[in-house]
Amino acid sequence: MEDSLEFDKLIAEFHIEPDVIKYCYQCSKCSDNCPVTAVTTDLYSDTGYNPRGNILMTLLGHKDSLLEGDDLKIWGCTVCVTCDEVCPQKIELVEVFTFLKNQSIALGKGPEFIYAQAKAVFESGKAIPPQSAIERRREQLGLPKVIAPDIDELQSLLKNMGADKKLKYEK
Amino acid sequence: MRKMTEYKMFEGCTIGNRIPFIEASSRKVFDKLGVQTSQAPFSCCPDPTGMKSFDNDVWLAVGARNLCLAEAEGKDIISLCNGCTNTLRGVKHQLKHDSSKLDKVNLELAKIGKEFKSSVDIKHFVDVFKDEVGVDRIKDAITKPLKGLKVAVHPGCHYMRPAEWMESDDPMKPTTLKELVEASGATVVDYGEEILCCGSAITNAYEEHGFANLRIKMDAIKESGADVIAVNCPACYQQFDTRQRDLGKAFETEYAVPVLYLTEIYALAMGFSPEELGLKFHRTRVSGILEKLGL
Repeated sequence: MEDSLEFDKLIAEFHIEPDVIKYCYQCSKCSDNCPVTAVTTDLYSDTGYNPRGNILMTLLGHKDSLLEGDDLKIWGCTVCVTCDEVCPQKIELVEVFTFLKNQSIALGKGPEFIYAQAKAVFESGKAIPPQSAIERRREQLGLPKVIAPDIDELQSLLKNMGADKKLKYEK
Repeated sequence: MRKMTEYKMFEGCTIGNRIPFIEASSRKVFDKLGVQTSQAPFSCCPDPTGMKSFDNDVWLAVGARNLCLAEAEGKDIISLCNGCTNTLRGVKHQLKHDSSKLDKVNLELAKIGKEFKSSVDIKHFVDVFKDEVGVDRIKDAITKPLKGLKVAVHPGCHYMRPAEWMESDDPMKPTTLKELVEASGATVVDYGEEILCCGSAITNAYEEHGFANLRIKMDAIKESGADVIAVNCPACYQQFDTRQRDLGKAFETEYAVPVLYLTEIYALAMGFSPEELGLKFHRTRVSGILEKLGL
């Protein structure tokens, strides 16, 4: 298992309060209260989604075990933010998990719906692009037209930040 | 009537471009309660479970760009969606507490002629109802109380968590939606899984696990005898409204509890007809509750 100093540094830069993750004493309140852990693991085996394990592996810098294994280990998080609220050490777990997801995307991994949404935002400025049937329905309901965003400006912003290079157009 | 501030309306992608009937009830109820809004060319917020997971820096920059549009008019934002509220408040929070991220974002925004000044506030419509309009004025606007309607409330994760930047309700024991639904004359039934996530994000990634979670939620709601689920988030709305049928197929059980947005509950209780609210566009039929209410 390869530990990575660079990974530690990235985590430190990403986390709003970088030192706080070190206060984790593995009490498992996060996993005990995680709705996805509840339906994917018995907490005694190494399968399924386990936020406590993710914090430990991140703290130890075990990058490969997190990013190269089963996608569920990272993408099982449903972003309900319950773990943040129950953590006695006030660790912002969801921010750490966001970092892991961002790293997974940088490797071209992760679920298809994330890429589909990013592509829709890049092309139309909206996660759900306008459709003519819905535009007619808005009119029937007496609603004003949705004002379209300045797509050129938005695309410049996204391109300048390299977001377009992370999109997957095949599949 | 007391004059209130005009907000920039952030209806969000799902409501604006997929389920606009939610916006119809919202605008009608806002009018009745004196909540003034105007439009702006906002882009996707973007999604705190999608784009944030894709690239946090991009999420910050796109979110900050939206905030700049409201700032340019000197107006605060009212959001119809938990996710949009969570993103816009989260972006503001991160940029307030991390100066290196703020510098990075403003460097990118400068290239498109913008600068985020952190002067804008973002409010969920539920909090505007509770804190600015107030329950008493809502009750005054109710003309047809929904007597006898049994409601299971689902405030949704991103309305109240993380408490640190949402600053709305108690993150683990929320009470606001319950109180607001009761103002309509309906009865709120406890079902014990009020704070359990609808599982929208996990269902998108792993349907099997999402359904296992949704089943726990729906079984508790069915058990409680609720006629309807009340929500204040379009992602939760879609999860309950469009996925109950498939959930039923997966587990060979019938799940068909209708879902109403808080604004639809109010609109009905204020005398608007199911037709003008577009209730026929709900996927899980609402005819049973309309019959019960004599509508």
